[in-house]
Amino acid sequence: METEIRFTHKSLVENSKSGDRNSQYQLYELYVDAMYNVGMRFLGCKEDAEDVVQDSFIDAFKNLYKFKYESTFGAWLKRIVINKSINHLKVKRLPLSTINDHEFHLTEEVEYEKVAAVDILKVKAGIEKLPQGYRQIINLYLLEGFDHNEISEVLGITTSTSKSQYHRAKKKLVEIINTL
Amino acid sequence: MDQFEKNIRENKSVFDDQKADLTKMWAHIEAELNGNQPKVIPLWKSPMLRIAASIVLVMGLLGLIGISAFSGVTTETNYVSQELQDIDMHYQGLVSYQVQLVQSNQQLSDSDKEEFLSFMVELDTEYKQLKIEMQNNLDNKLVLEAIIGNYKKRIELIENLLQQLNESKIKDEDYGYTL
Repeated sequence: METEIRFTHKSLVENSKSGDRNSQYQLYELYVDAMYNVGMRFLGCKEDAEDVVQDSFIDAFKNLYKFKYESTFGAWLKRIVINKSINHLKVKRLPLSTINDHEFHLTEEVEYEKVAAVDILKVKAGIEKLPQGYRQIINLYLLEGFDHNEISEVLGITTSTSKSQYHRAKKKLVEIINTL
Repeated sequence: MDQFEKNIRENKSVFDDQKADLTKMWAHIEAELNGNQPKVIPLWKSPMLRIAASIVLVMGLLGLIGISAFSGVTTETNYVSQELQDIDMHYQGLVSYQVQLVQSNQQLSDSDKEEFLSFMVELDTEYKQLKIEMQNNLDNKLVLEAIIGNYKKRIELIENLLQQLNESKIKDEDYGYTL
């Protein structure tokens, strides 16, 4: 079953590898919205997200021969978008981690279950209000489905740092949601 | 995974609420991809064009083979052609010079000149036929000898005529002198 998922859109990918523009467009059409949403979550700016997604598709099509179906095409492409988004933030010199600045607001006891049934739109609004560093790790873990190994690779931190920072970010998110 | 995380992951679609500007972004991507490599129009993908190209190629090859087979252009034939051309030029020069002498001779009447030149025209026609024969059969020594014979005959005729004229002139002069 897993194998079948990895080979999703295989014919489109193979045709795109040989430069077939029509197949490339079909792949683009299938994934552009998802990738744009990833870009928007990281960058929070329409223009920046568009630039990053465009560059990601260009890189993906140019380097498609490197794609060996070790994951789905979507996962491979998403990784490109996330890497580019993080690099974009680095170039803009936005702080990747502002976690320590907010630590003093946190309390040790956070009742997650209380927010479990909370309106998902409030969660969405809460994530948008998070500081850059928190938002990145929440996005990567909760929304993009990365595990802590993958997050450590993307952000250049250790796995244990990834875990601890995620828990702090989650506490902060709950705190924000409770104020909404 | 706690209930909070589970709730978010189950409702992930709520977070994908942005719509990309499909056309605008693709225009940039396509421009970049096209700019990266020379634009190739895959004509060979059309079966009709493939057939047409094959026909043109086959015809071209057949044409080339035909030209080389029928023209028989080899080093040897080039050499023989050059030899024939040299002979031709040599005799043609001689003949035209002597014909000119005959035409400019004041002792001959117009009718005599015309009669003499008609022989030359006949020999010229024969020569043209021999030349065609020579082109078709370059190895034939007999044809080559016939061509040379034709020239010699023309020259001989002219020389005889001129000699006769000179002799009569001498006789006339002698006659006048004895007188």
